[in-house]
Amino acid sequence: MYRIERDRSRFREIVRGRIREDLRKYLSSTELLGRRGDKTVSIPVPQIELPRFRFGDNKKQGVGQGPGKKGQPVDGDAQDGDGAGGAGENAGQHILEVDVELEELAEMLGNELELPNIEPRGDRLLSADGGRYTGIRSTGPKSLRHFRRTYKNALQRTIASGDYDPLKPRVVPIREDERMRWRKENPRPESSAVIFHIMDVSGSMGREQKDIVRIKAFWIDTWLRSQYDNLEVVYIVHDAVAKVVDQDTFFHLRESGGTKISSAYDLCLAQIQERFRPEDWNIYPFHYSDGDNWSARDTERCVGLLRDEILPRVNQFCYGQVKSAYGSGQFKKDLDGSLEDSERLVTANVDDREGIAEAIRTFLGKGR
Amino acid sequence: MVHLKNLTPELKPIAFQIEAIAKDAGLDFFEVVFEGHDARDVNALAAYSGFPVRYASWRFGMEYERLEKGYAWGLSKIYELVINNDPTYAYLVRSNSLLEQKLVIAHVFGHADFFKHNVWFSPTERKMVDLMEAHSIRVRRYIEAVGQEEVERFLDLAMALDNLTDPFLPLRELRSGKPKRTGGNQSERARAAFEAVSDGSIRRLPEPQAYDGPSKPPTFDILGFLAEAADLEPWQRDIVRIVRAEAYYFMPQRMTKIMNEGWASFWHSRIMTRAVAGPDEIIDFADCHSGATMASPGQLNPYKMGIELFRHAERAGMDLFHMRAVHNDTSFIDAIIDEEFAERHGLYVYGKNQRTGRVEVVDRDWTKVKNQLLTNLTWGGLPQIELLEADYEGRGELYLNHRHDGRDLQLDSAAKTLEQVLQLWGRPVHLLTQEEGQGRLLSADEDGVQVYETDENGDIPSQPDDADDDARQAS
Repeated sequence: MYRIERDRSRFREIVRGRIREDLRKYLSSTELLGRRGDKTVSIPVPQIELPRFRFGDNKKQGVGQGPGKKGQPVDGDAQDGDGAGGAGENAGQHILEVDVELEELAEMLGNELELPNIEPRGDRLLSADGGRYTGIRSTGPKSLRHFRRTYKNALQRTIASGDYDPLKPRVVPIREDERMRWRKENPRPESSAVIFHIMDVSGSMGREQKDIVRIKAFWIDTWLRSQYDNLEVVYIVHDAVAKVVDQDTFFHLRESGGTKISSAYDLCLAQIQERFRPEDWNIYPFHYSDGDNWSARDTERCVGLLRDEILPRVNQFCYGQVKSAYGSGQFKKDLDGSLEDSERLVTANVDDREGIAEAIRTFLGKGR
Repeated sequence: MVHLKNLTPELKPIAFQIEAIAKDAGLDFFEVVFEGHDARDVNALAAYSGFPVRYASWRFGMEYERLEKGYAWGLSKIYELVINNDPTYAYLVRSNSLLEQKLVIAHVFGHADFFKHNVWFSPTERKMVDLMEAHSIRVRRYIEAVGQEEVERFLDLAMALDNLTDPFLPLRELRSGKPKRTGGNQSERARAAFEAVSDGSIRRLPEPQAYDGPSKPPTFDILGFLAEAADLEPWQRDIVRIVRAEAYYFMPQRMTKIMNEGWASFWHSRIMTRAVAGPDEIIDFADCHSGATMASPGQLNPYKMGIELFRHAERAGMDLFHMRAVHNDTSFIDAIIDEEFAERHGLYVYGKNQRTGRVEVVDRDWTKVKNQLLTNLTWGGLPQIELLEADYEGRGELYLNHRHDGRDLQLDSAAKTLEQVLQLWGRPVHLLTQEEGQGRLLSADEDGVQVYETDENGDIPSQPDDADDDARQAS
């Protein structure tokens, strides 16, 4: 129905305005996680209420029916829920889910954090966008015959051969006159990117630390998805050993034990070499840890891996150090100290949720 | 007469059969038009409260969004919608099963009879479909003239005040012999307006509708007072009138929700079980019927409460047709509920335990239950707010009074609403209410809302010169 669609889009416009205003809030909360579909994110927003004179809750009493002695709790909150669409008294309390295009959310993020668009490295895969029947060929199936062009050729040939009689025009196309439509492909550059989310899941990474990682990963994915047509995400977790896991595991796994960061870097490198050739892919590893490593020797090995193997192959390597009660935070210092001059390494501290936005800006603010 | 549009032909003889049974049983209604729609379109209609056309507002879009999501997730499904109009329009969801359609058709005749005969509906506009369309056209003209945002902002302002009405006013006016507020030639006017707009012959704004005299303080019809007495642009005045006219149209449905649903359920149950449902359908009928009239803990299902009230009245030998004509929910409950009823249906008063924060059963005493029901339903379930003075202390300020019945207002929201009144009125406005037994005066002027403590006379106790320090900023 046309009218209601107009009212709905007006409502969505208003809601998007509010989301834009509240983006900082979403940047530091887990509210949006797991709400991403292929093209949209469904964002819970409180129903917008008009102010009204209404009763408060303090002495609100009602009448219900069912069993239960005096003083016994009533199951389920008293709510309006009558079968056939009666308007409830408390209609203002509902939470609405509003679908926002991923593109649009990324744009809001970009505006909020003033992120530059990414310049993909080099020429990438060429892909065809399906193509259109705009070309002409002299061969092809009869069903694609271009009548006008064919007739024109036949007419020209007939006239040229002197067989044409204006009083009794007779034009018979032969095989050589025929022209067929042909699909012309429109090659355009396609950019592909892969994100590695690498997380330290050793005992010292607590729930809050993981939440911070989750939120950050969500927004980074959202942004990069808006920048690349084709985005792959690889999740790697590590304690003393590293493994590739699926998204769900990545966010819920809790290991305990030591930390050997090089194991993760080895695995990441192996993945790049096997699956994501730098010639074809823009590569973005993000590593999150609380900064505790097994030994200084392993850290040295990490620095070496980064300098010699990983950094030359990637667009940017981001290390986000999440503050935890147990982590020493040494790893970031070591990286910064040893790889100071490397442009492709970006490190950031995230002390708490409020710091997420800043860390994202640091990571993505270079447009690389 | 019954008309079917966009429904399978097999429903036609069924609708005629049910109509004949309903009429035999004594139901009487305007012509009923049954329209088939798919679920999405019924959601759209429901967002517009059953009308095909309403004025443009994001609030309807929000409601639609909510219904669509609820439907998509399987949380809610609308079977039917009926609107109080002549002819009475009923929308059936085409995907309903045959049995559901039968039940719903019988249910609709119950509503249609109630709309026509209940006294609270007698002052309502019966050509509301046309009037709504006329409203929509007028609002569209205003949008074209002054811009979407401006009109939208003002509509929101007016809609926030749409419960500042007097539910008893229309009937009082009708009884005192005043002509109906919206004349009978409404449909013609609407059509003329529509044609003029579509062929482009109107360049100027449509004339605001005539209105027979403002409500004067003291009055509960604050919206009516503001519509006439506030200093507004002509288009603004018309928008307040539009919002008010629609509020008064919907008010009787608020006041008779339990009765109306009860009456319709009573009749669909009777018609189905005694005449229409075959032996092979009776289980499905019971399933469907009990789904609608299910009582869940902590909730009051108007279908359930309503149907049981009518059954109780029938057992007591009362004249049901008379009752459906003269009562609203409060007077009906007052007349019917007795100890036996409360006990049979396990009614209780619930409330929040202040100590534990839990919602608990507070009382099962039937008089308490009845009192609580009456309190909650009185005045359409809304706070009673009256305008006492329009020239408070000779300064042209409004003085409103909340008739406190033990339930406090939500003060934050009240303060914001008061600011809306201020914006409409243009001069300071005051509201006298209570919070936890303490008198409060909320005063809104261009600097915001101040909250004062008041004594038992509603006066602010005399204060030292630094009175402003005692005033609490509310917004």
